[in-house]
Amino acid sequence: MSEQAIAAGPPAVSRARSRAGAGGAVLTGVYWATFLIVVAMVAIPVVALVYGSFRTSAPGLPGEWTLQNYAGLASSGVLSSMTTTLIIGLFTSVISIVVGTTIALIVHRTDFRYGNIVVALIGLSFYFPSFILAMAWIIVGAPGGIYNTIIDDVLGMSWLRADIYTSAGIVFVMSLHQVPFVYLTMRGPISGMDPIYEEAANTAGAKPHQVLLRVTLPLLGYSLISSFILTFVMTIEQFAIPALLGIPGQVTMLATQLYLLVRFTPTDYGLAAAIGVALSLITGAAIWAQRRITTAGRLTTVTGKAGRLKLIPLGRWRWAANLLCFGFIFLGLVMPMVILIYTSLLKWFTVNPLEGMYTLRNYIFIWESASTVRSFTNTLIVSGVGAAVGVTLGLLCCYFTLRLQPRGYRALDFVVSLPFGVPGVVLGLGLLWAYAYLPLPLYGTLTLMIIAFVTRFLPYATETIGGQMVQIDKSLEEAAWVNGATRAQGIWRILLPLVTPSVQGAYFLLFMAFFREISSAILIYSVHTAVISISIWSFFEQANWGLASALAVVATLIIFIAMALIMRLVPTARRG
Amino acid sequence: MSINVQNLVKRYGSLTVVHGISFDVGKGEFISLLGPSGCGKTTTLRCLAGLEDADGGVIQIDGRIVSAPEQDALVPAHQRQIGMVFQSYAIWPHMTVAGNVGFPLSIRGVPAADVAKQVDEALEIVGMRHLRERHPSQLSGGQQQRVALARAIVGRPRVLLFDEPLSNLDAKLREGTRIEIKRLQRELDVATVYVTHDQEEALSMSDRVVVMEHGRITQAGTPKELYRRPANRFVADFVGRASFIDVERGKGNGWSTPSGIALQLDDTGAPEAARYQAMLRPESVEIMPGANGRSEDGINVLEGRVLESHYLGAYTEYLVDASGTRVKVHSRSDFDIGDTVTLRFPQEFCRLVALADEARA
Repeated sequence: MSEQAIAAGPPAVSRARSRAGAGGAVLTGVYWATFLIVVAMVAIPVVALVYGSFRTSAPGLPGEWTLQNYAGLASSGVLSSMTTTLIIGLFTSVISIVVGTTIALIVHRTDFRYGNIVVALIGLSFYFPSFILAMAWIIVGAPGGIYNTIIDDVLGMSWLRADIYTSAGIVFVMSLHQVPFVYLTMRGPISGMDPIYEEAANTAGAKPHQVLLRVTLPLLGYSLISSFILTFVMTIEQFAIPALLGIPGQVTMLATQLYLLVRFTPTDYGLAAAIGVALSLITGAAIWAQRRITTAGRLTTVTGKAGRLKLIPLGRWRWAANLLCFGFIFLGLVMPMVILIYTSLLKWFTVNPLEGMYTLRNYIFIWESASTVRSFTNTLIVSGVGAAVGVTLGLLCCYFTLRLQPRGYRALDFVVSLPFGVPGVVLGLGLLWAYAYLPLPLYGTLTLMIIAFVTRFLPYATETIGGQMVQIDKSLEEAAWVNGATRAQGIWRILLPLVTPSVQGAYFLLFMAFFREISSAILIYSVHTAVISISIWSFFEQANWGLASALAVVATLIIFIAMALIMRLVPTARRG
Repeated sequence: MSINVQNLVKRYGSLTVVHGISFDVGKGEFISLLGPSGCGKTTTLRCLAGLEDADGGVIQIDGRIVSAPEQDALVPAHQRQIGMVFQSYAIWPHMTVAGNVGFPLSIRGVPAADVAKQVDEALEIVGMRHLRERHPSQLSGGQQQRVALARAIVGRPRVLLFDEPLSNLDAKLREGTRIEIKRLQRELDVATVYVTHDQEEALSMSDRVVVMEHGRITQAGTPKELYRRPANRFVADFVGRASFIDVERGKGNGWSTPSGIALQLDDTGAPEAARYQAMLRPESVEIMPGANGRSEDGINVLEGRVLESHYLGAYTEYLVDASGTRVKVHSRSDFDIGDTVTLRFPQEFCRLVALADEARA
């Protein structure tokens, strides 16, 4: 984003003038308030985490300075989970990139017949929470789960047995979770690519598959690498899937190891913090590389003239395209939902639907239990209020870093983008350390939950809003000033109405992200501040599959309904 | 015939953009498709290239049917052996100059050594050989244009297609490239279809020009025919500058303006129409000071007053009001606004044109 700011920034002379013109004490006040809030939100957990990584004791207890935690990073246990993390990350990213990009190519470049329905369902599966997906696949793929029971008892082919509690299982479920992300990031470059490059290859005598291999994919290279790195980052910082699948099978990734060190005896908060620092450095470096690549590699291939391109006929490969697209949707969305609904309706879990004793008691329990009702209310408060806070902060940050550019705006821009590199569970640990010392009674409150979520997802808001703001020519505001508007009126009457679509989009994005967030909440929730994701998690950990499934079904339905409503009310939210 | 187009139809959904047009391009002939934007010229070219599937009619290249949708025959673009230059050049940014130019050969499995040789030849022709290892981002617009040209000719195509190739160049460069394309085309002796909205380009480069409007051919002919004898007001207006005088059939076989001034017109072979106008090219009108002279046989004379004057360096364009009709005149003499002048123009340069249907104009 800083590069964008530099590129979009006016030359020095006019900037000096606009700063002088900013004059308004109110605007200056708002700027410094925003600056302080954002810096505090981001810096406090990061500093606390680094502090903790050099301490011998748990947060809040007397201890000494030490380097022992970093020495612990070289222990065989941590090294092996580091290796596991990187391997699982690489495999997942490669599979997701291949499948996601292929689906995007099929949907947007061939005469595939069901594009609309596939796009809609992949959009849904993008919002399908990772921990709910993992739960459904445990019910299917655990050693005593549906798949293995059918293999053993019905088919009698025990050589086909599979175990989801393995590295391969984690890669499989994580890929299912990441494919929609890859699809969504590759869709823009693929459908926005100027078709002329492919047409030129076509007239030069290249057959459709040669065009694909020699022109289309190389031109998408930077987008592919960028999407690959982001997928890798999201995979190695994933918490829910490796925790649910890896802990029973003793496959430990860095994020799960950090969680285990904090939540289970023998605890070691210092080592956990050091792991958090290490993990953040890896993700941070990867994101830095991704930024460099995307700014360096902006080939002028995207024009907006798309749509004239002739679609590639699938011909005799149509069955394969159908199989891939609908196979993914079945495995990643439809089957998990069906399994969860089935499980939620059973009194006792059984693989054979004919033997099942069906009941609605799980749903009735959700309705009647004070704790689940409270977790619903908590979630709605955190998502609704939190998203509003996040969008407001994001809008202010964008205005200051992209438009007003007062002193220190580059620092603000940098700080805002930092949380991108901090995994959720690491952020939670940082907050745990911080609020053990800070004299603020925030621990165990919903406010802390909101702070955690807003910090983690603030870059989503600034990216969404900033992306639109840089495209709005500054002269539109200047014209308003020339015609007698003050700076504030210029913002209110011109800029705000023009960025409204992205503000709505950002609110939607944050609401959805908060609603299904678990990794940054798992270390800081208390009984009173549990959100839905935490409740589902707890029920599942207590092996109460029925209740966890029922709650997951309700939560998923709420997400889908909210999505449908917002898509209808705010057509532009689709961009988000 | 190198290219033969019969009744070409192209629709986008319910919108028909090309209404059954037909034309030929002979071997080595240079044809321009000329018209305003949205007239269907680019769509026609893309149907020739195979980048768009036609909805009707037959296209033959070198006697081979490449597009006949009614017979379910559509040869894909990569099998049509064409060379094409795109408006924005479409130089692949991830390949070097040599990679771009060699693509049409290597994709057809030509051995690497031959590719290198032919690439060098093609680059030599466009004067770009010294830049063969450059990347497109290091090239100027004019250089990219040359690379595109080299890429179009390297595979010895049976036809060359140009889609407004000069519209992204500045005026000076455009003129030079125009001459170069023409020279190249003559040397290669290859049938060429050139799409443009610039009448100057079309007139100066083409053996024949096909003027299109609303997906139909309005007139096809040599540049001279189009300029001297446009079929209707649209062509006259689009090709070159012109003034128009309303005329109707007067006594006997002659023509006269609504105010009754008789005019001697070139009306040979003029199409039937409900209304007519006389077209005058500004450079074929002679302008003289004062009110003098009368019409002679074969020469029209009108008296008028100078309304406007625009100095353009090589000449001045005057707008003269001659008894209610306004005539543009190019002259190197000086007149002041309000001066009384006499206009003289021979019959052969005063062409009768049909007024196109007003519904469509």
